Amino acid sequence: MESRDVPCPFCGCLCDDVFVTVENNRIIGVENCCTLGNAKFLSKKRLKHPIMRKNGKWVEVTYEEAIDETARILSDAMRPLLYGWSGTIGEAQVVGVHLAEEIGALIDSTTSVCHNPSILAIQEVGHPGCTLGQVKNRADLVVYWGCNPIEAHPRHMSRYTTYADGYFIDNTASDRTVIVVDIRRSEGAKVADEFVQVKPGGDYLVLSALRAMVRGKSDVVPESVAGVKKVQLQRVADLMMKAKFGAVFFGLGITMSRGKYKNVRNAIELVSELNRRTKFTISAMRGHFNVYGFNEVLTWMAGYPFAVDFSRGIAFYNPGETTVIDLLERREPDACLVVASDPGAHFPKSTIEHMAAIPTVQIDPCVNATTALCQVQIPVAITGIEVAGTAYRMDGVPIRMKKVLETEFPTDQEILERIVIRIREIRADG
Amino acid sequence: MNVTITFRNRRNRRNPFIPIEAEMITPDAFFNNKEICVGEGNRTVHLNELADVGIEGTASSVDEIEILIRGDASLVKRVGEYMTGGTITIEGSIGMHCGNFMSGGRIEILGSADGWLGREMQGGEILCHGDCGDYCASGYRGGRRGMRGGSVEVIGSVGDFACEHIAGGDVLIHGNTGDFACAEMKGGTVTILGDTSRVCANMSNGTCYVYGCAAEMIPTFEKRGTINHEGLLFHHFRGDVANRGNGDLYTARFTYLQ
Ligand code: SF4
Repeated sequence: MESRDVPCPFCGCLCDDVFVTVENNRIIGVENCCTLGNAKFLSKKRLKHPIMRKNGKWVEVTYEEAIDETARILSDAMRPLLYGWSGTIGEAQVVGVHLAEEIGALIDSTTSVCHNPSILAIQEVGHPGCTLGQVKNRADLVVYWGCNPIEAHPRHMSRYTTYADGYFIDNTASDRTVIVVDIRRSEGAKVADEFVQVKPGGDYLVLSALRAMVRGKSDVVPESVAGVKKVQLQRVADLMMKAKFGAVFFGLGITMSRGKYKNVRNAIELVSELNRRTKFTISAMRGHFNVYGFNEVLTWMAGYPFAVDFSRGIAFYNPGETTVIDLLERREPDACLVVASDPGAHFPKSTIEHMAAIPTVQIDPCVNATTALCQVQIPVAITGIEVAGTAYRMDGVPIRMKKVLETEFPTDQEILERIVIRIREIRADG
Repeated sequence: MNVTITFRNRRNRRNPFIPIEAEMITPDAFFNNKEICVGEGNRTVHLNELADVGIEGTASSVDEIEILIRGDASLVKRVGEYMTGGTITIEGSIGMHCGNFMSGGRIEILGSADGWLGREMQGGEILCHGDCGDYCASGYRGGRRGMRGGSVEVIGSVGDFACEHIAGGDVLIHGNTGDFACAEMKGGTVTILGDTSRVCANMSNGTCYVYGCAAEMIPTFEKRGTINHEGLLFHHFRGDVANRGNGDLYTARFTYLQ
């Protein structure tokens, strides 16, 4: 059997033109996908049964026992933390938010460790953004700032920017100018018409200088700013002002370097300034395929996009105080549920140690670095391959994920619903 | 009326690292004879469960209430939130959000304060003898105006983003600040006796004095020469030009990241 236009459940590009060939309920061919997506479609390793640690050893248990144990851990906790969410669909995330509210938990997603600063900046000054379709069809200038699409979003350039044919672009190779700004000459810099190398931590200063230049106040700018010569800055400012439609994409290079959300805010304000002269937009290069979706779900349910504390019965949001890394550093949580992400592989050591010290449960199809920190792991069906549902692309466009394989495994949503029901039963029994 | 709140050691509680949300510890609540409850994680408990509370005398107005906090209060948040009068003295250190939104009265902290000290305060006084965490005298996420009135004095140093969005009032920091002090400043006066970094980024109005060194100056400030202030020579800058700003930054020394 062949399926066309399957969205790839890997990165925020959410390419929805993948061609999948299935035989005997196994994927035997994948076309149009990049290597990252391919690996996900073709991976075969998975955990077959729920597992639980008993007397220091892993033992296989039934779904019922694993869910019962999870419900007991969560209903007992005074400061439970529900973390992850980016690798599953909106339908499951909704249940997660209900669960958090019901037990007075902290709920946070991987946004917290990637584009958290972008959201803080947008909350301060708004978001002059657009969909990727607009960029593909109109942008004659593309700026990649502090990101490396070739490695992290391999099809971004071919589907939406540099190499993509556009309705209003006659010749994509000659009619699109590409500017890359980074602290080192990355792969992406090689295809750039203009490469700007900034000293580490200097993005904010360079952005301020460009804003002043776009305003026509070049005279205040010193001869060199954070390692960039004034003449080059002027050239970049001129390119930006001459563009008919400019699109800025930024990544962790500015969100996670010194200054964090101030860098993003400054980039947004540069775009606003440019919009007084021409058309310019700015977008974040979101990582996981549905990291944006969790922000949407939590915002429509609780009013805030991530890092919400329900402990006092209302939604309280304050990144720095209610964000996962800060909470774990301060050893606040006394139980943790990880869904559809792998903090064990990315988090700082001290936070992982705390996760290992408290009862931690993971809902994930595969054994991963987080498994080592857990008391219980519940395997589930693979979202986007075995489960259909809604995900949001990095530009906020919802896309229906497809189901191409049949499975016996329960979905994230089913497991979460069963946990909620079990918690209610435990509480009713007092 | 004298209120003494002595926090007990929390070693025997299930998780001593869970912060205590104590927005009810204000002179106003004691004046109105309220039952004082605090949040410990997702449970609400009586303050008596965590602290010994002693009350002596009576008060005919909120200004006659003096609260003394003893014991370890370093994880106790939101003390003095929305207070309108009276005094709170903290013998040790205090948790986050102390003096949020306060409009009157006085808070004195003999130890250090955690983040968001005096966030969005409107009036009254805060004196902190130790250091202070990030976002001292600042605003809230996405908010346009931080501190609007009153005064904050910190004898030690402060963390990053001090006085972010400040729109009024006076702040005096005896030590150094972290990165991005006075970012988005809109009004008020901030004096930093030590060193600072990327100060006054994107400011639109207000006045800031730096007696030490302003490292990594924002490159979009216009040099206006030097002035004499309290017998010392200061470089005068106006900006932030990138933001069409009209703020004044006076600094004894400065460096650019070139
Ligand atoms: S660019 Fe991202 S979404 Fe597209 S195929 Fe590659 S991993 Fe999948």
